[in-house]
Amino acid sequence: EPPPFLGSWRRIYILVILYLVTLITAFWFFGKAWSS
Amino acid sequence: MRPLDWAVMLLTLTAIISYGLWRARGAATTDTYLRAGKTMPWYAMALSIMATQASAITFISTTGQGYVDGMRFVQFYFGLPLAMIVVCLTAVPIFHRANVYTAYEYLEKRFDAKTRTLVSIIFLIQRGLAVGLALAAPAIVLTVLLGWPDQITTLVMGVIVITYTVLGGVKAITWTDFQQMLIMMAGLGTALIMAINLLPEGIGLTGALTVAGAAGKLNPVTTDFSWTDRYNIWSGLFGGMFLALSYFGCDQSQVQRYLTGSSITQSRLSLLFNAVAKIPMQFLILLTGTVVFAFFTFIQPPLLFHPGDMAKLKADPAYPALQQKFDKAFRQRHESAAKMVHGEPTREEFKSAQRDIDDTRKQAAKITGGNDTNYIFLHFVTNYLPPGIVGLVIAAILGAAMSVISGEVNSLATVSVIDIYKRLLRPVAEDGHYLWVSRAFTAFWGVYAVVTAQFAKNLGSLVEAVNLLGSFFYGGILGVFALAIYFPKVGANGAFIGVLAGEAAIFALHFTGAASFLWYNVAGCIVVILTGNLVSRLTARTP
Repeated sequence: EPPPFLGSWRRIYILVILYLVTLITAFWFFGKAWSS
Repeated sequence: MRPLDWAVMLLTLTAIISYGLWRARGAATTDTYLRAGKTMPWYAMALSIMATQASAITFISTTGQGYVDGMRFVQFYFGLPLAMIVVCLTAVPIFHRANVYTAYEYLEKRFDAKTRTLVSIIFLIQRGLAVGLALAAPAIVLTVLLGWPDQITTLVMGVIVITYTVLGGVKAITWTDFQQMLIMMAGLGTALIMAINLLPEGIGLTGALTVAGAAGKLNPVTTDFSWTDRYNIWSGLFGGMFLALSYFGCDQSQVQRYLTGSSITQSRLSLLFNAVAKIPMQFLILLTGTVVFAFFTFIQPPLLFHPGDMAKLKADPAYPALQQKFDKAFRQRHESAAKMVHGEPTREEFKSAQRDIDDTRKQAAKITGGNDTNYIFLHFVTNYLPPGIVGLVIAAILGAAMSVISGEVNSLATVSVIDIYKRLLRPVAEDGHYLWVSRAFTAFWGVYAVVTAQFAKNLGSLVEAVNLLGSFFYGGILGVFALAIYFPKVGANGAFIGVLAGEAAIFALHFTGAASFLWYNVAGCIVVILTGNLVSRLTARTP
């Protein structure tokens, strides 16, 4: 069943993984910035 | 609670439940009652999934955790998006195509009736243990802080849940959850904004983050690995992924939310919404806790936030010296924090005062034997937020509790009817009969939740133990679904013996204390897969 956007589920899943990596990286920098 | 708070709370809850029942109006069949006739859109399921996961204790305990331990608890959810992708790839299309009412029904199609019955009974025990606690936990906290008699609180919440779950079935539950989640978000967002606004002149969010950072609270990513520490990036990614896999993929209280979807796409989108939204939401809840910490750096907090523990402490001969030490440390922390926010190098004085405060609180907790983490956020809400807002936050907490209980009662009833009653006791009957039995089982589990909640409040610290016991069963159930989906050569006997071996491994791991509980699921799941494969090979060889 094709998804309603982005054309394929695989692209959506890759996007979710990239989002998770970005989020963790942002949290890491957030922690560094305020704890140093 | 002032009159305006009562008005806001009662209006909010009445509106939510009336809307849920209105959406569920019309003639019911077993299919519409248990699966909403597979008509649900993704956004209703998405918020229902989120509301079923977010309990009242999540709400009040996570903010308290942000205050006491900082933000590292957010890592617990890092594995959730990965688990959602796996569930979208496997469980969603498989359950949709098999056209099942419960996840365990699929196990009979893949293995046999005894595996299905075993896993169904494990689920009934696991959820049956938890459902009373989900009702009792917020009632206990509200009793202490607002003086509400907890028997009345659990009874009122229980009767409301039984009413809309019995009358409206899964459709009423989904739309009620949808509203309750919106109220939870509104309550939390308002509490965070109010906490920032209540900070003293010239402090603001930047000042609050400076103070919380100096106290070591802003630690959302910790990379140190330890088998026995449950909150670091590794246990979050791997342990958290396995826990989320078993919860969203194999626990009927969640599976039933997305089985109501009108298509595979709608169900997937509801899970992917949670993959994207869950971590930021937990981050904001924890951030609220750290802002409350900054608030209490400038406004003196009580030594302990639990009023009962505080009264017990005051009766102890060590109390005056402890309070004196606490007052002195608070003044030092306040002064150094105010200077630090304005750029003066007083970080070390601040940290030293913070250590003194932590030590004093630890000594006090040793005397009382209590833990006040769950009381911090509500102490702040009930003492410092304006009229109306308190009612909104309390409505959000009651709504959080009810959305969890309704999902659990509804799934317990569905498994009782589909996997036990219809499968083993009465396989052939009119649809109207099963609908009637579904309503009866829903009422039974609702009453059961209210009755066990009355006992739960006498369990004291055993509550944690009962919760832990419930989590012991996840690894075995996850393992059997992994066998079903990824190991086509493994047969029914391999699966059945595998589950028993996996559960034995989890209990052994617990009683030897070899690893933190997040790893139990991983170990249990692996043992099920290995045993299942081994048994299948051995039995295949015997003539």
